[in-house]
Amino acid sequence: MSEIEIQGGAAPERTEPAEAERLTHYVSPRPFDPYVGERLAPAQERFYSASQWRMMWWKLRRHRLAVLSGAVLLVMYVSILFCEFLAPYGVDTRNVDFIYAPPQAVHILYRGRLVPPYVEGYDYHLDMDRLERIYTPDPAKRQTIRFFCHGDGYRFWGLFRGDLHLFCPARGGQLFLLGTDRLGRDMLSRIIYGARISLTIGLLGVASSFTLAILIGGIAGYYGGWTDILIQRVIEVIQSFPHLPLWMALSAILPVDWSPLLVYFGITLILGMIEWTHLARAVRSKLLALREEDFCTAAMLMGARPARIIGRHLLPSFMSHLIASATLMIPGMILGETALSFLGLGLRPPMTSWGVLLNEAQNINVVALYPWLMLPVVPVVVTILAFNFLGDGLRDAADPYH
Amino acid sequence: MSSKSLLLLENSEKRRNGSRLSPGRHRGKCAHFRLFPEFLPSRVAYSAGFAARRRLGQALRLRPRAIPGVALLLFLALFGAAQARLVETPYFAAATASGRLPAIGERVPQQPAVARSGTPGVPGGTLHMLMASPHDTRMMVVYGYARLVAYTPWLELVPDILASVDVADGRVFTLHLRKGMKWSDGHPFTAEDFRYWFKDVAQNPKLSPAGLPIELLPRGEVPRFEVLDETTVRYSWTQPNPLFLPSLAGPDPLYIYAPAHYLKQFHKKYADKTHLATLIKQYRVRNWAALHNKMDGSYRNNNPDLPSLEPWILKTPLPAPLIVFERNPYYYRIDEAGHQLPYIDRVELTLADSRIIPAKTGAGESDLQARYLNFDNYTFLKRGEERNRYHVRLWRTGPGSEWALYPNLNTEDPVWRGLMRDLRFRRALSLAVDRHEINQVIYFGLGIEGQNTLLPQSPLYRPEYRSAWAQYDLDDANRLLDLIGLKRGSGGIRQLPDGRPAEIIVEDNGETSEQSDVLELIRDSWRQLGIRLFAKPSQLTLFRHRVFSGAAVMSLDKGIENGLATAEMPPWELAPTTQQQLEWPKWGQYFETKGKAGEPPDLPSAIRLKNLYQQWLAATGHDQHIAIWREMLKIWADEVYSIGTVAGIPQPIVVSDRLRNVPEKGIYNWDPGAYFGIYKPDRFWFASPVPSAARAASAAAHR
Amino acid sequence: MGRYIVHRLLVMIPTLIAISIVVFTIINLPPGNYFTSYIAELQASGQKADLVRIHFLEQQYGFDRPLWQQYLYWVGGLLHGDMGYSFLFNEPVNQVIGDRLLLTFIVSFTTIIFTYLVAFPIGVYSATHQYSWSDHSLTLLGFLGLATPNFLLALVLLYLANVYFGISIGGLMDPHYLDQPWSWGKAASVLAHLWIPVIVIGLGGTAAMIRRLRANLLDELQKQYVVTARAKGLPPLKLLFKYPLRMALNPFISDIGSLLPQVISGAVIVSVVMSLPTTGPMLLAALRSQDMYLAGSFLMFLAFMTVVGVLLSDLALAALDPRIRLQAGRRQ
Repeated sequence: MSEIEIQGGAAPERTEPAEAERLTHYVSPRPFDPYVGERLAPAQERFYSASQWRMMWWKLRRHRLAVLSGAVLLVMYVSILFCEFLAPYGVDTRNVDFIYAPPQAVHILYRGRLVPPYVEGYDYHLDMDRLERIYTPDPAKRQTIRFFCHGDGYRFWGLFRGDLHLFCPARGGQLFLLGTDRLGRDMLSRIIYGARISLTIGLLGVASSFTLAILIGGIAGYYGGWTDILIQRVIEVIQSFPHLPLWMALSAILPVDWSPLLVYFGITLILGMIEWTHLARAVRSKLLALREEDFCTAAMLMGARPARIIGRHLLPSFMSHLIASATLMIPGMILGETALSFLGLGLRPPMTSWGVLLNEAQNINVVALYPWLMLPVVPVVVTILAFNFLGDGLRDAADPYH
Repeated sequence: MSSKSLLLLENSEKRRNGSRLSPGRHRGKCAHFRLFPEFLPSRVAYSAGFAARRRLGQALRLRPRAIPGVALLLFLALFGAAQARLVETPYFAAATASGRLPAIGERVPQQPAVARSGTPGVPGGTLHMLMASPHDTRMMVVYGYARLVAYTPWLELVPDILASVDVADGRVFTLHLRKGMKWSDGHPFTAEDFRYWFKDVAQNPKLSPAGLPIELLPRGEVPRFEVLDETTVRYSWTQPNPLFLPSLAGPDPLYIYAPAHYLKQFHKKYADKTHLATLIKQYRVRNWAALHNKMDGSYRNNNPDLPSLEPWILKTPLPAPLIVFERNPYYYRIDEAGHQLPYIDRVELTLADSRIIPAKTGAGESDLQARYLNFDNYTFLKRGEERNRYHVRLWRTGPGSEWALYPNLNTEDPVWRGLMRDLRFRRALSLAVDRHEINQVIYFGLGIEGQNTLLPQSPLYRPEYRSAWAQYDLDDANRLLDLIGLKRGSGGIRQLPDGRPAEIIVEDNGETSEQSDVLELIRDSWRQLGIRLFAKPSQLTLFRHRVFSGAAVMSLDKGIENGLATAEMPPWELAPTTQQQLEWPKWGQYFETKGKAGEPPDLPSAIRLKNLYQQWLAATGHDQHIAIWREMLKIWADEVYSIGTVAGIPQPIVVSDRLRNVPEKGIYNWDPGAYFGIYKPDRFWFASPVPSAARAASAAAHR
Repeated sequence: MGRYIVHRLLVMIPTLIAISIVVFTIINLPPGNYFTSYIAELQASGQKADLVRIHFLEQQYGFDRPLWQQYLYWVGGLLHGDMGYSFLFNEPVNQVIGDRLLLTFIVSFTTIIFTYLVAFPIGVYSATHQYSWSDHSLTLLGFLGLATPNFLLALVLLYLANVYFGISIGGLMDPHYLDQPWSWGKAASVLAHLWIPVIVIGLGGTAAMIRRLRANLLDELQKQYVVTARAKGLPPLKLLFKYPLRMALNPFISDIGSLLPQVISGAVIVSVVMSLPTTGPMLLAALRSQDMYLAGSFLMFLAFMTVVGVLLSDLALAALDPRIRLQAGRRQ
């Protein structure tokens, strides 16, 4: 720490060398190429003249887990474009004869022979004493899964009619790979459709809070003084609330007659509005330390405007920290959505998101009797892990000069 | 058992004559009703009086004197025997021995009520129950069900705290108290307690700014109140007041008495001025009236010092996570063996979040639980039966429909209002509800499908009320909509007269997911009518506000509260009488506020219903009441003001294996019923007095 | 430094005033008040509303007056230490909160200690062993806690603990200890119940902490001065603890501000699921039923603790990082 202090404070005090010790002026007659020490091979040339982002990419590639996570996320985000095609059933298709049916296993061996994948149909009987629906797979009912087949009709993106699915149940058969819920709706299909809301809510939420955090935290940290104090107070005011009353109050002002789509945007905004403060404080405290650095003083002396200094010099220096925080925020948003649903403030059925599905699973009956309804937790966990690993990789890559 | 045979005779006579809800009627369907002949002497008295009234059309007498001679003798013999053999309660043995509490002979009234339902039991034990809200202490008043007059499991009104009631012309009510009856602090319960309430509470403008409660003001008339003697009071009106007795028997009853000796210390008229001033300061209230109001509150049941008549009295200062109730040493009921009731010494309510109450119940943490359990918890609860030594029973619920759709006839949107008021539209919507599917999918087919009207258990029930416009018939429904002239537009969705697509937003209070499930099922069949349904779960206050203000077009909520009504119960739910009615909140508000707010009804059938209700209020005879009920039910069925789905949904009741006298089958209903109240929990008892070691330890620690 | 503290203390006053206005606004934002929601609840369940008593209470607490008067009344009370009256619990707010603070502190502190105990070693280890298998598996473990929606985890753990260990579901002790004075048995019962909420609440925080500690530490470890120190032959552990770790802690210190209110408010949702007798479920109940004084005063209390916490964290930050201290003398 002490060396930093000396660097920062001692520079202006340096004096000119003493006049008395002047040497005779000598110039070497040999030709001089000033770049001789830095001549580069073409490969090196490419490396040294690469942009920051390119270097980040090179570095990111070395982090296998991050690349894998990125790929997983990419697949997930692409798949939400094609929910209708990927899900074997429609989001609201009810199979009232198969209520609370447990997941079916996919078989590819039939009497020791390799066959196209099939599931075993269910025998069903109703235990009226316990009021329980009991399903037993019947090996005799072999129902081969169809691929690229026509099934439940849908409107693709709400625009085009279609009924093509990646895979569907055998004709007259069922295909509940993840079981069904209390109205006999296929959980797999619901999870696939739920991704549409849950995955985007995190991105939008983080985008809004990220912008707010950098803007406000940046201003506070850079200017310091009264601006800082004022912003600090505002952040304190917001932070001093547990999230709960803020959520409740903000949800209360969402008009009742808003369409589900608007409610969805409203909720992303709510999540974003609340989460930014922590990031903003971190930005500020980093900035406070960074702006004492020489390069910042130098930029200031060269007459750079504050926006340039913040954006060009300071932000990149702690981008890594920001990215680490932001990756932790996206999962936070996804979880925030589930928490809002839990409190009855967020999205509600008939809308389908992972939060809504998990909230429906938040019930002792499910834990004890229908545990497969808790399966939406798997995509939630996978997404959050993936975001974390990706963020980890990005964090390291964001500082490619190390 | 000759009194029982007499009872049967009565019943068979009644069956011939018509209509009253009685054990005989239900022997086929609900045999359980026979299991618990409750209150035999009074029942006989009431029945006898009833018969007499029908013969003479004159006086209704609810008193032992009216019993035919043989029964009276028998009654006196039984009563005398019980009185002679009063047994000291073990719980109070130490207190009586040391003189802190008088002996049992001085604690029970000279004429105690003798309970006979179920099997005689053994005193002792602690009943554990789970509650969720700090306000739930009032549930002990509901379950305790000590009322001036009370409903029996057959839904007959009999004297309970009162020794008897004389009713003349349906307008003069003479209440006879039990001699020697005492409040839970040992102070006598007398006519003064009635006088104090009527004169010093209900008619004090500070304490009751709104004046007397509506049940005491038939057409605005204030009753004449007289104290005839120490134990007799009389309320008389110039015209009949059929609301009076039922309101005394409600789960949240009209209290026309108050513990005067306790409350006078807070009343300006009686209290010492300086003392009152210190109390006002101490409790940090604005004035004496607020103080009085804070301390009073028999139904709220949150003041441990307030004397009570209930079987168990509050012991814990509130709020507390564990609320303890202790047996009332001066309770007025005894069993046939001379034990003072209640059998159970203590009741402990543990507060927990309502969402984990099913889990806790399934883990055996409650001895008697129905509140906060849902039908869908049954399978889970059933699994824990053996391990945690309880059994789950299924009782029927009493609302006219578990869920009903309410087209808002007062909605702001003029186009929708027009449609909602169109009888054909309401009928078409009702025809397009597949009640059978709802019943099968959500309720395992155990519910009763049909309209939102009375249940088969009600003596007024007729199958056609329930089945009117309730069969699933899409063709008819479509025909009706075509008749109205709603043309199908793009995508097969019909168009409203102003060209908008027919998209109905159905709002609900968002408290259970069952609501959105029901709507989801209805949505698909309505789709085939060319009507799109959007479910909009909201939040209770907001939901009601939107319905009341007319912002909501249609709503989903519980059906009518009382599906078990007898002709003697007011048919207010069928007529626009209160804002709470989601089908016509503004018309109801108009009636409720006597025209100060809301709008007057403008549909002829609704006006007719309102008039019929007013006629019912003025009617005197049983036959008149029946006739009016029938006409109202008929109109209600024809007009389809609310669209019923499935009723009589079973309610899981978890009963500890040691707990006795809880009926196998029963009705779990708020009013009439008071949940467990009509089955008299003071008669419930524990088979083995020593529970698990832990509970014994806790009980020991309390003493 | 002294001037700085005084300055900060003075700034607290307008902050608190602003917070009180925001709190009051937020609570009054949803339509209606406690009484309307109470009446709605009563009527929806078929009960008669005790209109007379409600009228008294409305008058007593000035609900018939304009909002700004209600605000002044409330703030006036707060200044005298009177937090108002809880309609939901029928008791002065001070008492309602007071009853719950002890158990809330117990739960929160145990959780924080748990979090630190788990997060610190893992964070430091995985930063110093970046990209090793142990790093990956430890972070994965830490993330699993973060990635699981904790209300679901809570319910599952409650159920399993009941089935396999016979621990009563929910609450912080067996029900029969609820109204008893503290004893060994009661303390043991509390401990037997405590581990579930501690694990559930703790796991979420642990992951976040590991993540940030690791990230910050990695940043520091790559700095010049570390290389210099290493080159000079400082022993690795001493090096780690002497400089980079202290620097990496900066952001955590700036978080103390929010830690304090968290300790008091507890994890609301988990506490609700587990039915813990802490302030979290109380706050939720108060907000739901619009119990204005309980919710408002409790939030104010939290706000006060945060402001104090932020002050402490700023002071600690200044003490720890001389560059910030320097700023006080170098204002241009």
